[in-house]
Amino acid sequence: MSILEVHNLSVRYEPRAHPPLTAVRDVSFDIAEGEFVGLIGESGSGKTTLGTAVLRLLERPGRISAGSIVFDGRDITHLAEDELRPIRWRDLATVFQSSMNALNPVTRIQAQFRDAIEAHSQLRSDAVTALVRQLFEMVLLDPAFLTAYPHELSGGMKQRVNVALALADRPRFVLLDEPTTGLDVVVQRSILDRIRSLQRERGFAVLFISHDIGTVLDISDRILVMYAGRIVESRPAAALLADPLHPYAKGLLGSYGDPRAETVHLTYIPGRPPDLTRDLVGCPFAPRCPERIARCLAEEPPLTPVGAGLVACHVARQQRAPAPGDDRTGVPERTRGFAGPTFVRSGEPAATERGPTILELVNVSRVFQRRRGLTVHRMTAVDDVSFTLARGRIAALVGQSGSGKTTIARLVTGVDRPSSGSIRFHTPDTTVEVEKLRPRSLRRYRRHVQMVFQDPYSSLNPTLTLGYALTRPLQNHLRLGRAAAHARAVDLLETVALTPGERFLNRYPHELSGGQRQRIVIARALAAEPDLIIADEPISSLDVSIRAEILELLHKLVTERDIGVLYITHDLLSARMIADEILVLNGGRLVERGSALDVIRHPADEYTQMLLDAIPNPFGRLSIDTI
Amino acid sequence: MTAPATPAGEAPGPGGGPQHWYTVIWSSAKARIGIVMLAGYVLVAGLAPLIAPYSGTRADFDPLLPSGSTHWLGTTSQGGDIFSQLIYGSRVSLLVGLFGGLLATVISLVIGLIAGYQEGSVADDALSFVTNVALVVPVLPLMIVLISYSDVRGLPLIVGVIGLTSWAGPARAKRSQIITLRNRDFVTAAKFAGEGPLWIIFREIMPNMMSLVAASFVGAATGAIAAEAGLSFLGLGDSASISWGTMLYQADAQGAVSQGLWLWLLVPGLTLALLITALTFINFGIDLISNPHLRED
Repeated sequence: MSILEVHNLSVRYEPRAHPPLTAVRDVSFDIAEGEFVGLIGESGSGKTTLGTAVLRLLERPGRISAGSIVFDGRDITHLAEDELRPIRWRDLATVFQSSMNALNPVTRIQAQFRDAIEAHSQLRSDAVTALVRQLFEMVLLDPAFLTAYPHELSGGMKQRVNVALALADRPRFVLLDEPTTGLDVVVQRSILDRIRSLQRERGFAVLFISHDIGTVLDISDRILVMYAGRIVESRPAAALLADPLHPYAKGLLGSYGDPRAETVHLTYIPGRPPDLTRDLVGCPFAPRCPERIARCLAEEPPLTPVGAGLVACHVARQQRAPAPGDDRTGVPERTRGFAGPTFVRSGEPAATERGPTILELVNVSRVFQRRRGLTVHRMTAVDDVSFTLARGRIAALVGQSGSGKTTIARLVTGVDRPSSGSIRFHTPDTTVEVEKLRPRSLRRYRRHVQMVFQDPYSSLNPTLTLGYALTRPLQNHLRLGRAAAHARAVDLLETVALTPGERFLNRYPHELSGGQRQRIVIARALAAEPDLIIADEPISSLDVSIRAEILELLHKLVTERDIGVLYITHDLLSARMIADEILVLNGGRLVERGSALDVIRHPADEYTQMLLDAIPNPFGRLSIDTI
Repeated sequence: MTAPATPAGEAPGPGGGPQHWYTVIWSSAKARIGIVMLAGYVLVAGLAPLIAPYSGTRADFDPLLPSGSTHWLGTTSQGGDIFSQLIYGSRVSLLVGLFGGLLATVISLVIGLIAGYQEGSVADDALSFVTNVALVVPVLPLMIVLISYSDVRGLPLIVGVIGLTSWAGPARAKRSQIITLRNRDFVTAAKFAGEGPLWIIFREIMPNMMSLVAASFVGAATGAIAAEAGLSFLGLGDSASISWGTMLYQADAQGAVSQGLWLWLLVPGLTLALLITALTFINFGIDLISNPHLRED
């Protein structure tokens, strides 16, 4: 018996000032009572729009343009708000994407539960308090926080409160829209594990939206894969994992790997999703697809049953379930992996001889003091850290949030000064003591040290062209004239595979996709011909499908140029792919260091082990050979 | 995808980027009305010699003629044509609005942006202190004192005094805006690109707050037009030129109300009120740029 049935649902956005677009197109699926369904896809694929439409929370300019949503046998597609209100929260609950902000900041936590419970049940006063205590225990929160205000809670605790709040009225269906995005990996893991076990206990159905395919595969029964507003594959999780049918699903799966493997292969999907404001002819994925045949460009594949699932792909259907009239010319062999570009990192250690030391940290500490009235709070962000980095090597600084990785980056770049200890930057001629630099010499120092930022959306000035972003460091640091800087900027664009470079110079950042922007950021960092690059989580805000591409590019460029890199991340897989050595930070202390493969395969510290366990690893269920 | 597969699609996309500011402003009905009204005023001021039947300063007609075919709105007690004065008066109001608004905006930009960018430093403390003092000093008495101490009278003096007394509020607004912008990654990136602080403030950050700058310019221009009218009404204006303020001053001084000469008083007052209304309407449109939540989608 399905609790939720969606038939041929389409959602259109029709803003006044922009061209209209169809964000969700002809989507049908159903969710059985007590089923845990994952929905994955790149950003912009329509996942959140679909989720919002199912809850009937779409706001203008979006609207359901066709199809129906049936919840528990009742068509809710066109119910009025007044009729929806009793159903919401009692039957249909949700945990939102930005649930950090979903709690009312001026109301105590308990009162927020009381509202939700009293609106939908006969429970009052003490009975409500007892229930809220129960809910708190259920999500492993200390009931002492019942009377707290939201700002007194950490991000992870707020998220647990949101989960408890969603489950307060024992709903039969819960929509989880990226419920742990922005949380620390370790916290993320524990919340999702808790949700899954509660779901098994209580038997509610879940639609779990995430771009993090590893996590989704780990905890879902069935997976829906969405691309360009359509569902392209619907399969049980285990089947999808063992044998993905749609090339897009293969591509998404291929972007994950086990960092512990001797050799790690990560594939990536080049290109970008289609523009949904235009009419699409043929399969929307065809332009990016390595397996496409002539038919894919002409005719859009319908979602058809193949084995135990559904897939919308001509090639996959002809491979698995050929129909009599099929023209099989050009249909490629069956593959499990994505037949696209791959970034391979093998186990053999990189060049063993170390170059000259470029960066040296000696007993560096940073203590933040905060005065509150008469008492002074001390917080040690970085505690007695010493390490060296050689020219041409990549060192990954790994740790969860609050471990002090970003503070170290700020210290090394001279943005902040250490409380004690010394940071030395060596060039062949001189040694610079970074903590003693004054503003003028700091500017000279930054010609040698550049940064790649985390968020390519905020690190490029939205009002200035890409040509400007690339020529300024050339003019300032290398003292190039206008024409020379222009020519060099074109070269830089081509080195980061944005060709022809000329076409990008007069563009603004908003015209580019996230991956393209991050390439601009990398090009800008390389412009000044630095000796050291600090890369602060350069791929964490990018789509999974293109992360390996950016990592490979960064790896290639810095190795070619013999630049030392401090790669800051919480993600051990990316550290394994790019770094020669790994430094693990916990609470500001350096707890472990060694060659990348050693640290990951034979972690000596408990904390490193914990970080490793937090990596979603669906592939652990398969034997290593099949990968 | 009407065109067949382009390899890897490296071309920059069409980008659903930010709308152009002018389409945003024009999308507001109120702003459209305001722009049309302002355009009307600008047109009249520009073509004043063609539109006005007589020179604005000519005063050799019979005094106190009623409105009629030769003098549409009648004449003043000194024998000036009210309609011609009204037309020429728009020039002064618009010029004062433009330059007074510009001056106040430029001062507020320099002080607010530098103070905000260096928040917490000695420079910020000093600039913020000056701003706070300028905020609490009563503006009208200060303007009166400044003008009465000056040896020369004239439009530049009025514009200067208005600019110097009305930058403080906008400066504070800009200071708080730059405080939220200066921690963006692109500012850090500019430091790594080797830019100096002044370049970062005015070339990198300022274009990101143009809607606030534009809104504060329109606000300052409105204030300047009103202040000029007020000062002229008090008799502190430029007696050599004709503005709506001096018309009101004359009308009041000659007892227009007691003599029942309503048109003389009402017409310049109403024209002034409509111009200020137009500018306020335009500001509704500018608000849409800085606050997308207000846009009717």
